[in-house]
Amino acid sequence: MKILLFLLLASVPALAADDGIPKHPRDLKYPALNYEPPQASGYRHKLASGATAYMVEDHELPLVNIVVLVRTGKYLEPEGKVGLTSLVGSQMRSGGTKTKPPAVFDEEAAYLAAQMSSAIADTMGEARMNCLTRTLDSCMALFFDMLQNPGFAEDRLKLAKTQALQGMQRRNDATMEIERREFARLLRGPNFFTVKPITKASLESITREDLAAFHSRYYYPSNFIFAVSGDFHNKEMMAKLDKAMAGWQNGTEKVPEVPKPGFALKPGIYIVDKKDVNQGRVSMGHLGTTFDNPDHLALEVMNGILGGGGFTSRIMSRVRSDEGLAYSAGSQFSIGRYYDGVFMAGFQSKSPTVAQAVSIVREEIDRIRTDKVKPDELSTEINSSVEALSRRFATAGQKAMQFASDDYNKMPADYWQTYRDRIKALTADDILRVAKKYLQPDKLVTVVVGDANTILKGNPDKPQYQLSKFGNIERIPLPDPLTMVYPKAQAAE
Amino acid sequence: MRPKLIVLFSWLALAATAQQINVEEHVLDNGMRVLLLPRRGSANIFGGWIARVGSVDERPGITGISHLFEHMMFKGTTTIGTRDPEEDARLNLEMDRVKAEMRKEEQKLAERVRMGEVTDPKDPKVRTAKHNELLAKFDILAKRQSELLVKNEFDRIYTSEGASRMNAGTSEDFTIYFINVPANKLELWFWMESDRLAHPVFREFYTERDVVHEERRMRTDSTPTGRYLEQFDAMFWKSSPYGWPVVGWPSDLESITREEANAYFGTYYAPNNLTACLVGDFDTKTAMELANKYFGRLQRGATEPEPVRTIEMPQLAEQRMTAYAETTPEALIRYHTVADGHLDDAPLNIVASLMNDRTGRLYKALVLDQQIATAAFANQESRKYEGFMQFRGVARPGKDPADVEKAIYKEIEKLQNEPVPDRELEKVKNNIAAANFRRQESDFALLTNILVNDADRGWKVLNTDPKLLEAVTPADIQRVANRYFLAENRDVLLFYRKSGGAK
Repeated sequence: MKILLFLLLASVPALAADDGIPKHPRDLKYPALNYEPPQASGYRHKLASGATAYMVEDHELPLVNIVVLVRTGKYLEPEGKVGLTSLVGSQMRSGGTKTKPPAVFDEEAAYLAAQMSSAIADTMGEARMNCLTRTLDSCMALFFDMLQNPGFAEDRLKLAKTQALQGMQRRNDATMEIERREFARLLRGPNFFTVKPITKASLESITREDLAAFHSRYYYPSNFIFAVSGDFHNKEMMAKLDKAMAGWQNGTEKVPEVPKPGFALKPGIYIVDKKDVNQGRVSMGHLGTTFDNPDHLALEVMNGILGGGGFTSRIMSRVRSDEGLAYSAGSQFSIGRYYDGVFMAGFQSKSPTVAQAVSIVREEIDRIRTDKVKPDELSTEINSSVEALSRRFATAGQKAMQFASDDYNKMPADYWQTYRDRIKALTADDILRVAKKYLQPDKLVTVVVGDANTILKGNPDKPQYQLSKFGNIERIPLPDPLTMVYPKAQAAE
Repeated sequence: MRPKLIVLFSWLALAATAQQINVEEHVLDNGMRVLLLPRRGSANIFGGWIARVGSVDERPGITGISHLFEHMMFKGTTTIGTRDPEEDARLNLEMDRVKAEMRKEEQKLAERVRMGEVTDPKDPKVRTAKHNELLAKFDILAKRQSELLVKNEFDRIYTSEGASRMNAGTSEDFTIYFINVPANKLELWFWMESDRLAHPVFREFYTERDVVHEERRMRTDSTPTGRYLEQFDAMFWKSSPYGWPVVGWPSDLESITREEANAYFGTYYAPNNLTACLVGDFDTKTAMELANKYFGRLQRGATEPEPVRTIEMPQLAEQRMTAYAETTPEALIRYHTVADGHLDDAPLNIVASLMNDRTGRLYKALVLDQQIATAAFANQESRKYEGFMQFRGVARPGKDPADVEKAIYKEIEKLQNEPVPDRELEKVKNNIAAANFRRQESDFALLTNILVNDADRGWKVLNTDPKLLEAVTPADIQRVANRYFLAENRDVLLFYRKSGGAK
C-alpha cells in the first residue's frame, strides 16, 4: 500500500549508510574558532576637511564603495514643513547640481555605471556611491558635486512632490501601512516628529529655497562620517577625499539635539475597519528604553526568547507552529538611541482567529514576566548572539559601515570587544528581572486592522476568545489621506 | 537636451574576462551536484542547496505543494524534533487516517455547497455529528503528538551554534534552502542538511497547512493588488502550469495530504535532483570529504523526475483585464516571449535595461517629457519553460492608465522601427559589466545565483551569459521587438482606483 511504503521510507533510518556519522549533532566536535572583532581605531582617519573616515581596503573586486553619514535628520524640519527632509534627501540625487542639469548629471552617472543615492531618515542623513575602480575619479567628482552643490532643479522638485502626493493617496490602501501608522501614532503621540504626517498643505509649502537652505545648514565636512571600502589604497583615498572637499567651509552652528517625546499613551484595543480583507493585522506594545540603559543586552536576550528569535521563540512557536494561526508572528524590543525604543509584538491571522492569537501573545508576555526562562532557551539565545558576532564584520563594506555608524551613535569604543562576555554573563534571573520591569501588560496598546465585524465576532468553534476581554475597544476611522484629519471617532463599544 | 559626452574607454573586454566565477564542481555517486566557492575574509560560510522542483511541476489538486513542502523541511527528522520516533510515526499515520475520513465529510459538504444548500462550509452548524467526532479525535491525536515533540529543534540546534539567516524559498521552477554557519561548524551544516534529506518526518503537517494558508492571506488576499495580479497570471497562461500561483489555490491548500507530500519528496528530493553549494571560508578538500560522508548516504531516486510536458499554447488574440482596486491607477502590459537561455533572451534583457532607470526610455518619455506617469519599469522574466516581457507605468494623478498604455506602445514602436544609438547601448552594457562585479560583493548573492542557475542551465551560464549580453546588436533588438511585441501576443491589465477610496 502506497501510504505505508512512503511513510516507511521517510521514517526508518538507513543505518548501513550512516557509518561514522554521530547519532546527534550534539556529538559533533568542532575545531576552535578564534575570532576577535576588529578595532575601529585601526581604520579611523581624520581628514583635513574635518570629516572622519573609516577605510577598509579590499582588492578582490574592482569596486569602490563610499558611504557618508551626515549629522542631520527629519527632527530638524521647521514647523509646517513636514516632508522637507525627505525631499532634500531625494532631490540631492535627482535635482542635478549647480553646474549640471539633472539630465546631464544622470546621463554621466549612468554611462559610468555609478550607483549613487541620497536620503535623510529620522536622525541621520546618508549618501552612497558605488563604482568601478577605473572610473573612481570621475565618479567621485560627480558624487562630491552632488554632496556639495546640489542644484535642486525646480522641475524635478515638482515631479517629486507629485510622486509624494501619490504616495499619500495610497495611505489607506494597504492594511500594513495603516497598522504601522496607527501603532506609531498611538505610542508616540500625533505630534512627535517621527509620527507627524506629511500633508498636502505641508508639501505644497515647501520651496526650492527651503531645500537649499536645509542642505547648506547641515551638509559640510565636519558633519560627515565616511565609510569607505573596496579597491583603493588608504593614502591615495585620503588624498582624494581631501581634494574633493578642499575649500568646503564647515558650519559653525551646533546641530541641535534630538527631542524626546513627552506623550502619555492610552492603553486599550484600537480597531481600524478595512473591508474586503480576510486577515487581521495586529501590533501590540508600548514604549521601551534607550541604549545607555545597561539593561539593553538583557532585554535583547529576553526578547529573543519571547518573540525575536525566529522559530525558537515562544510567540512563533505557539502562534505559528502549535496553532497554525499565523505565518509571521513575533516581537521586537528596539533600543532607542535618543529616545525610548518600542516593544512590539505582532502577527497576521485570519479574521475569526485574531482574538485567539492576541490571547496567546498576552499569555506569553505574562509568562516571561512570572517564570524564569529555561536553561536551554537562555543558552540558545546567548550562544546565537556570541557565535554570530563575526557576521557583523563579514565584508570590508560591513566593517566600514559598522565602524562609521558606531561612531555616529557614539558607541563605547570597546563595545564589540566586550560584547560576548557581557552577553555570556546574563542569567535567567536577569531575564526575569528585565521582563518584569520593562514589559507592562497594563500599558499595552493593541492595534488591529482588518474586517472589524468578523474579527469582533471571533471563531464560532472557539467562542471563549473575544477581543473585548482584553480592554476597552475603540474604533479608529481612516483619516483623509491628504489632510490627515480623522473623522470624529465613534463611541467605544 | 543632449548631455555632454564624457570620454570613456569601453569596459566590454574587461567584463568578459575579469568577472569569471570559478566554482569547483563535483558530482557525487548518487548524482547530487556539489559546488564549492571558497572566499577568504569572513569567518563564516553560506551553505545552501536547491531542488529542481517548483509550482510548475504540480498539477490541479495539489497546487501549492512545493511551497508547503519547503515549510515541512523544517519540521525535523527521525532524530530531530521528537522524543519518541516510533510513537511519533504511529500518530502521524493515525492522523492521516482520521484526515482521510474527514475528507469524505468535507467532500459531502462541498457537494452541498455546489447544490446551494450550504453557503459557508466552515460554519460549525452545517457539520455532521461524524465530522465533529473526527475533528475531536484529530485534536486528541495532535495533542498526544505535541507532547512528544521537541519544539522547533531543527532551528534550535542551528541557532544555538551561531547559525543565522536560515530560510528557504519556493518559485515556479525551484525550491532553495540556505543558512550561514560560523566557519568552524561546517560539519554541523552537513549533518543537519543530510539528515533532513535522509530521514525527514513531516510532523505537524496539517497545522503547517494552516500556516501556509495564512501566508497566502497575508501575501495575496489581504494586499491591495495581490488577488488581481494572481488572476491576471491565470488569464495570461492558457495551458502552461505557470497559470497557478506558487502559494497554491485555497481549495488545494485545504486538501493536500501528507501522503501526497511523501510521494512528492520521493520524486523530487532525491539526490540526483539536487545541487548543494558552499560559499565562504572553508577548505574544499575537507568540504568534499564531508560531502561524500554525509550527502553520499542519500539514495538515488528510483526514477528521474520528468520535465514538464505541457507547453503554453500560442496566444491568438489580445486579452484585457480592467480592475477596480484600492490602488494607484496603473497600466501593465505583458507579452509572451522566451524561456531562460533562449537565443532571444539576451536581446530581450537588453530591451528591459534600455527602458529602465532614471535615464531609461520609459522614465524619460512617460515621466519627464509627457508627464503622464510617475514611475515606469520593464522586465523580461525568463523562466525555465516559458517567459514574458512586462512593461508597467503608474499613472500620474489625474491621468488615465489607458493613455499610459498608449505611451508605452509608442516606445515599443520606436524599438521596432529605429536602431538603438550606439552610445545608449554602450551605457546599458557598461552597467551590465559593473553588475557582474557587484553581484560578487555578497557571498549570499553568489550562493543564490550559483544555485538558481544550476537548477536550470547549470552554474556556468553565470560566466557565459554576460558575453551573450555584450554581443547584442541594435539589429538584434529591432528583431526581437518586432517578433514578440505584437498586439495578439499581449495581455493588458489596467488598474483604476475603486471608488470610495482616496481621491
